[in-house]
Amino acid sequence: MNQTVVSYLSQYEFYDSLLALFGNNQGLLAFTIFLIVALIIVGLCATIGGLGTYAERKISADLQQRIGPNRVGPYGLLQFLADGVKMMTKEDVMPFTADKMLFYLAPMLALVGVFATLAVLPFSSGFAMADLNVGVFYLIAISSLVGLAVFLGGYASNSKWSMLGGMRGASQIISYEIPVTISILAITLLAGGMSFGTIVGMQKGLPINWFIFHNPFAFIAFFVFFTGALAETNRAPFDLPEAESELVSGYHTEYTGMRFGFFALAEYIEVFVVCGVAVALFLGGSNLPVDIKLDIIPIQIIEVVIFLTKTLLLYYVVIWIRWTLPRLRVDQLMSVCWKYLTPMAILNLVGCAIWLVVFNGKSMADMVFGH
Amino acid sequence: MFIQILFGLSALLTIGCAIAVAVTKNIMHSCVFLLGSLIGIAGLYATLGADFVAVTQIMVYVGGVVILMLFAVMLTGGKDYVSKAQNLLGLAPNMGNKWTYTIGLLVSLVFILTNVKLVSSVIKANPAKTFGNEFPSTVNQLGHLLVKDHVLAFELSSVLLLGALVGAAIIARPRKQ
Amino acid sequence: MISLASYLVISLILFAAGLTVMIARKNLVAILLGIELILNAAALNFVAYSRYVTNNLDGHIFSLFIIVIAAAEAAVGLAIVIRFFQIKETVHVDEATQLRN
Repeated sequence: MNQTVVSYLSQYEFYDSLLALFGNNQGLLAFTIFLIVALIIVGLCATIGGLGTYAERKISADLQQRIGPNRVGPYGLLQFLADGVKMMTKEDVMPFTADKMLFYLAPMLALVGVFATLAVLPFSSGFAMADLNVGVFYLIAISSLVGLAVFLGGYASNSKWSMLGGMRGASQIISYEIPVTISILAITLLAGGMSFGTIVGMQKGLPINWFIFHNPFAFIAFFVFFTGALAETNRAPFDLPEAESELVSGYHTEYTGMRFGFFALAEYIEVFVVCGVAVALFLGGSNLPVDIKLDIIPIQIIEVVIFLTKTLLLYYVVIWIRWTLPRLRVDQLMSVCWKYLTPMAILNLVGCAIWLVVFNGKSMADMVFGH
Repeated sequence: MFIQILFGLSALLTIGCAIAVAVTKNIMHSCVFLLGSLIGIAGLYATLGADFVAVTQIMVYVGGVVILMLFAVMLTGGKDYVSKAQNLLGLAPNMGNKWTYTIGLLVSLVFILTNVKLVSSVIKANPAKTFGNEFPSTVNQLGHLLVKDHVLAFELSSVLLLGALVGAAIIARPRKQ
Repeated sequence: MISLASYLVISLILFAAGLTVMIARKNLVAILLGIELILNAAALNFVAYSRYVTNNLDGHIFSLFIIVIAAAEAAVGLAIVIRFFQIKETVHVDEATQLRN
């Protein structure tokens, strides 16, 4: 059964009084709750995406022994707002030879693809907008819209640099989808379900129960997943589609103003989503380290904080990797995907299946501590 | 209620984009409209309670087929060979004169009437049922069906995919002159 | 309430659009687009019938296989189109007149 935030809230008493307030109109109340939660999540994630640009600059400055943005607000914290205002007030230039319809469509598609993934991201056990039966699968499927947006943006600009960036981006995203999906499949096998509720629910308790420590294959699968996810979000060292030293700015060379902002925002939110998925699949999700039987709202809020903390730590690692490693060549990029990551991912999948059969579904922790 | 709204939007998207695929002259735009049509069909699957099929539709088409199509259009120049002559509405490329259209209309009328006659018994036997907003999960049942009742087709499709993979690689590889 | 007939009408329109594309377009890639539309019309019918008539999931399995076959067909078809373009330097369907060379 599909769980949603509405069905979670309906177990409390205040839901009934709210229902009375809406004249016992179930549909309208459900719609209102979904609308409010969606606005909160989109607002939160847009802020995280905006702060991501600030964090990127500040952390890179740290790694390069500079100071970084420090003028707008305390510690330069409001820099992203200033950037946003600047982008909104800039002239919206469109190249004369551009394909108008696709040029307008591409940034929207990127943003839609990323925001649609937020619907299944498990912020806590109750506060996921929808816990679909096909949650992980839906997330992989809908996020491939971003790849399409990159390609269309590159094509529609009708410039050489954009075209090269767009083609690189599309081929890179399609290729790296394969190891990422197979790594996720291994975890689906361990959890016995594709919904985030099932997967996160299996990892209750201490870190030793997380799926990353379930067996050696899952441990490798995490790194395969993380590498592939970095490539899918076009982050360094896989940022070939927007390689600024070769392609000016890749697929968004010709975009200005808020349309460029959409691409940038989509990229930063996608990194957040990918980190959130990694946390939910491998690193225990929003579970508390101790098993609390109570199910009240404050516990849920603590769970949200735990989830966000883990995700943002992973976000830091992503930025750290970006400013540490140099960029790959195109042929290296493809050989990393097809010669190393994909065979490893398939081996992990087979290994997880064999582990489940041989050890009767027990994790390493179960065998050591003997449950 | 939500189901009806979803159905209306998806049907509009599907039909509108399908017609746009047929009448757009720019083939790149046709591909993008095809994408809209396929996403609309995924929405229709969702209204039918086929969650797994809907997501598979998005996964395969958006992530794979449409991007492949766009690549192919770009690699082959994307020229659409539209003749100067237009049809009656001035939209699609020319497909014939008024006689062809008259005969086509008559044939399609006969076709539609025959089909309505055939299908109407099925529709009458199965009046519109009232489904709730609750859908049971299809994932488990589909998994069981795939490895029990339909296991031969499942294995054959994996052979087909392997054949397609190897075949496509062999056909499209650059040959030395 | 949504009836079976409405799904069938949508599927009919999809099929007609696909057939129009296949007949009217002269670009090989556009013909493949038409085939995709037709296959999807069939798959939609299978799922609709499985919900309204048979009440089991065999229709879903059928449409899953249709999706698999459509993907395989698109891959091989586009490979052929690209190879054809390398040889003839055009993708006009009327140029495909030779079986060898």
